[in-house]
This record gives sequence, structure tokens and C-alpha cells, in this order.
Amino acid sequence: MDQQMIAGYAPTPVSARMETHGSAMLKVAMQTGQDLFARTGSMVAYEGFVQYEPNPPAVRQMASQWLTGEGAPLMKCTGDGLLYLADYGADVVCVNLNNESLSVNGTNLLAFDAHLQWGVERVKGLAKFAGQGLFNVGVKGTGWVAITSRGTPIVVDCGSGADETYVDPDALVAWSSGLKMKAKRSFKASSLIGRGSGEAFQIAFSGQGFVVVQPSEDSTDRLRARG
Amino acid sequence: MAREFQRGHKAKISDLTAGTDLYIGVQIAGPGLSFDISCFGLDEKEQLSDDSYFIFFNQPKSPEESIQQLGAQAGDSESFRVTLDRIPPKIRKLSFTATIDGNGQMSQVGPGYIRIVAGGEEVARYTFTGAEFSTERAVMLADVYLKDVWRFAAVGQGFDGGLDALLRNFGGEVAEEAPAAAPPQQAGAPGFAPPPGGAAPAPSFGAPAAGQGFTPPPGNPSIHQQQTMIAPLVTPPQAPGQPQFGQVPPPQPPPGQVPGQQFGQPPGPPQYGQPQFGQPPGQPQFGQVPGQPAPYGQPQAGQPAGGISGAMQKFRETPTGQRWTQQNNKMMRADLSQAGGQPVLARQGSMVLYQGKVEYSYKGAGFAGRIVGGATGQEMQLMRCTGQGQVFFAENGAHLHPIELQGDAICVSSENVLAFDESLQYEVRRIEGHGIPGGALFTMQFQGTGTIIVKTHGTPVVLPVTPTTYADCNAIVAWSAASQVIISSQVRLRRNAYPGHSGETVNLQFRGAPGNFIVVQPYEV
Repeated sequence: MDQQMIAGYAPTPVSARMETHGSAMLKVAMQTGQDLFARTGSMVAYEGFVQYEPNPPAVRQMASQWLTGEGAPLMKCTGDGLLYLADYGADVVCVNLNNESLSVNGTNLLAFDAHLQWGVERVKGLAKFAGQGLFNVGVKGTGWVAITSRGTPIVVDCGSGADETYVDPDALVAWSSGLKMKAKRSFKASSLIGRGSGEAFQIAFSGQGFVVVQPSEDSTDRLRARG
Repeated sequence: MAREFQRGHKAKISDLTAGTDLYIGVQIAGPGLSFDISCFGLDEKEQLSDDSYFIFFNQPKSPEESIQQLGAQAGDSESFRVTLDRIPPKIRKLSFTATIDGNGQMSQVGPGYIRIVAGGEEVARYTFTGAEFSTERAVMLADVYLKDVWRFAAVGQGFDGGLDALLRNFGGEVAEEAPAAAPPQQAGAPGFAPPPGGAAPAPSFGAPAAGQGFTPPPGNPSIHQQQTMIAPLVTPPQAPGQPQFGQVPPPQPPPGQVPGQQFGQPPGPPQYGQPQFGQPPGQPQFGQVPGQPAPYGQPQAGQPAGGISGAMQKFRETPTGQRWTQQNNKMMRADLSQAGGQPVLARQGSMVLYQGKVEYSYKGAGFAGRIVGGATGQEMQLMRCTGQGQVFFAENGAHLHPIELQGDAICVSSENVLAFDESLQYEVRRIEGHGIPGGALFTMQFQGTGTIIVKTHGTPVVLPVTPTTYADCNAIVAWSAASQVIISSQVRLRRNAYPGHSGETVNLQFRGAPGNFIVVQPYEV
């Protein structure tokens, strides 16, 4: 068989805990003692001895508020080897936290180191609007986080001027933890009679920090929808 | 923003970059082949009158060091540094060539490119593949030449014979070492006869008919050579095959498909027609480091401890003073404060983020508009964005392309319109033709002065209109309104006879003066 055309897709040598392979696949170098939390169902391949524990007790407690409480969509991965994760072709961004904190939209979180501090937060006043129920995961500490974005994300600084930054909740990926959030409704009576602008509500961010948005308003949780 | 050049395209270097200190990188490779990549500094007669301006492996710099050969780096097989304002006046043209050292022919070459990097940013790129060549043993890749101002031309002209024949063609003397490096190969193909007057063959690239070399370039296997890390590594990042350089952005692998590239020669000026694509399609843009397909690839040399800010640096917004700014290939920023503060009309729900005081209101089509829209299917659900501030538009990860209209017109199917300046007039246009289900096809025609943002699924191809240009009516996105559309439906009795089959074999044929273009997406709605 002529393998010349696919020979270029071999994995590169490991140089860090998390790397992207192409733009849409995450490669994690697993080691015993360095566990990983990943979205359930996101594993596409692995090499070595890696074990998966869906819905581990630690997660169950932390994520008790996660949506309907039917179990957190996280699995704990342990072992030695190379783990490949992907979320239906979404772009993957690896972030190395250096004693920093980041808030990630629940559907856009792919994996993170188990030793990081994390917690599920519900965004006040917004959950009732967004169809998915907007919740986010705050991650803090020193370690690696991988987030997904449907299309190349863009990072916008907010809060430099008096004006706030308004984001469509469906396009929101992540934001720096220090920001203040509030809901903004640009809802008018006219939208009730079919003359809306299609932009009913936004999340307003203020403070010093950044917001990451994706170029897509598709916030469907594909890993979860699959069941 | 790296501009994609196709064979025959020319541009002023001052339009590409303000700098005069250029890095020119060439990537060319083929299985079992080795290449000599050289630069000829030619005088106004296109002759190599001074041998010291033949920059090659044995003579890596010109006397005053305005042209230097730097060797392989940053993914380029060979690279040069050219300082334009130090080039002596007698040198009018720099011709960059690649010759095969040893046996082989240019058709065996894989995808390659020549690119210009200025100020750490790639500003121009011409990609080619071996499919464009045949038995040639050398290729003149590109010229940097002085005609009032310094200009860049993508040549892509094959040349029979090796380095010595090329050297002779330019009027140079074959020194002892040159034949050693490139043994003469006069057998086989008839040698390229240098005209006695010494006119170099470079300008002759305008001729061949369109339609040759439709072979799509093979996929690019080198994409995985890219580092895929964001933050600085814990271990020293000496990844094989990927040297890091502060100044040169990491290499961009040749795109799997370069729109329009297969068409050997677009007729006429570099752009296809009047409405210019603000930037070449298929060229992703990311915050600070434009022109890389895999943005999270590269550890930035000399970046302080990574963390969030390091990881996010690649995706920063690019602020410019312009009304429409492409942030990356899927996101567009409109600054409402610019251009007289006129409102923007956009597809409902396409806003992903905004800063400032912006109001969103329903934009009705009016009574007549609704009737027409309902009858033709060319209905747009629009909203009007007014106020002061910046709005980011995106929809479903579709690729976005700004097209600036300067009093001319373009036809776009309504479902491919994302946003446009309110100053543009638009109307539904009907394309008559027999054999179309429903009797006619409808499209939106935009005209006036302003920008329209067209969205496509996937990387589109922009084809110049030639006598034989056809497109599927489901995949066509836009065409310049000056070209005439003819329906060429293939009526097949067997297909059309069956009930329930809508007979979707309608092709559109385009006719028009050179300069017209069509845009086709790799997705049939």
C-alpha cells in the first residue's frame, strides 16, 4: 500500500502535556498520577494503558448543579499513554494556566488536569433564557485546559472604556474570571409580532479582562446530544 | 494578511508592505530531488551583466549585501534577504529560480511556494505544484523588478535545461563550479533557445489558454510538522524539522486548494474584475499572526511565561480604523462609527459580540418586498444595526469574504449574504431560461458603493469568466453582475420523466468580458 499520502499525519513527538494535532484534535500525554478530566465521549483514540471512569464521585459532587443532575458529562482518565480527544471537528485551543483562572462555557470545555481547582457556576439571570441552560466551569491553578471553539475563536479585550462588551450567549466560549457579567435584554414588544431583530438578549461583560467568542452561534452540545 | 498570488499576478511591493527589507522564502521539494534555488540580479536588458549579482550557493551575497542567501529556515527550503533600497540602480530585476540538481523533472515536484515576509508578517505568497509543469528542469518562480517602483510578479515559468542553461539564458558565463553543480543536460527536450536580443522569457507567461492544469494540488502532508502547542514548553522545544525564528512567521503549508490557481492565467489585471475581494479567499487570518492555517501551532519565541494571555495572543482582535475588518476567515468586524456612521444591515441573529452602543432593529422588506421575496425565495431576514461601536458578525462558522463595491454590481444568492452597508441598493434579479423548475432562477443584485459580506461553506473558488465557464446553480455563490448568465440545462428525458425528481441538472453558463468572475463554494445547498 502506498502510504505516502497519509504519512504526514503521524503524530509529532510529545513535547508537552497537551498539544493539538491538526486544529481539531487534542493530544494528551497521560502519566500515572496526573489524571485528566475530559468530556464524556470525546475520546477518539488512545495509545497505551488508559482507563476511563465516567461520572466519578468527585465530579458528581462538584457538578451536582450541572444541568439536570443526570450526571456530569465528565470522565476521569488515568493511566499512561497518549490520549486523543476531539469534539466533532471543533477547533481546539490548549491553555497552560500559570496560577491563573479561566471561566469556560460548559459545552466548550474539552479536558483539564484533574489537579486544577474547578467548580461549576451557573450564570445568574441567564440560565432561564438560553436553551441549553448556560453554565460555566471555573478552572483555577497551574495546569492545562483544553477548550473547543466552532471555528477559529477571537479574543476581545473588554472594559477599557465606559461601554460594556455584549456577547451573544450562543457564541460565548470563555472569559477571564474577573469579569462582571449581567444579562441584557434588547427585547422589544415588536419581536412578539414577528418583527424582532434576532438578537433578543446578550451577556454584558465589564471589568478588566478578555472574552473569547467563536464564529458560530451553534452552541449544541454534540457530545451530550449523542447520549 | 498574506496575499495569494496566482501565476501571472503582479503587484507593487509598496501595496503589500511599507517595508523595504524583505525576506523571501522558497519552499520546493519532490521525492528524491534536490534543488538549487538562486537569485539572478539582472540589468535593464534582463541580462546578468555583473556576475556578482548571481546569488547562489557558491556566492551567498551580493557585494553590498543587499541580496543575501540565508539558507533553509522556518520551513522554507531556501530563503533570501533582499534590502530593496540598497540594491544598486543598475540592477532592475531579481529573478528567483529553482533548478533540479541531478536527474528529475519539475512535474515530480510537490506543492511549494514562494513568499515574501516583511516585518515578521507574511505579505505575499505564490503557491505552485508540479502539476503545472512537465519535463522542465528549472522554473523561474517569481520576479522582484523595478518599474517606477519595486514590484513583485508571480512567474511560475518552467525552463528546460539546468542551472547552467538558465545562467546562459541570462547572459552569464558558466563558471567552473556551475557545471559541477548542475551537469549539462542537453539531451531530450529541445533546449530553450535564448533569443539573441537577450529578452528573458519571463514576460511570456501571459499566453496559455485557460483550462490547463486542472489537477488539484495534492493534500499537504506537512501540516503535521507544525508544532501544536500554545504555551512555552516545559521541555526545550527543539522539535525536529521546525526551527523557530523570531522574525519569520512559521511556514504556512500550501493550502490544499488554492482558489482559482488552476486556471493558468486570469485574463487581465491581477484582480478578477472590479469588485475586489478584500483578501484572497481561503486565507485565514488570526489576530497577530496572519496567514497561518493552524494558529495555535507555534510557540512564540521569546514569549514570557505563557498562561492564558500567551495562549490567547494568537486570537486577539485586530483593530484597524477601517469600517470592515476581517478578524479571521470566519469573523468580520464592522465599526459603525466609520464611514459616516451609516447603519449596517445584517442577517438576523448574526451578531456574536458588540462593544459600544448599538441598537438592533427589525428591517422589513416592505409590503412589495415581502411579496417579491415570498414569490422568488430571495427573501432576507434582516436587522438594522445602528449606533456607535463595533459589531462582530459570524454565522455558523461560514467563511466570510468582504467584497467592496465601487459603483459596480454583484449578484449574490440571498442565502449567502451576511451583512452589507445600508448604502447599497439591492433588488431581486431574474434569470430566465428554459428547463428550470419553476420557470426561472432568482438572485439578489447589489449595486452602489459599499461593502457586502458574502458567506460560503468552505473555501470557495473564484473563477474568471471565460467562454467556457459553467457552474452548478446550487453551488454558485456570487458573480459579477456584468457577466451574462445563460442556462445550460441538460434535459435528460429519463431523469425528468420520473415523478418526484426535480431535475436539478441545471447548469449556469457565464459569458462576459475579461475581468468578470464567479464564486463557487464546495457545498451544494
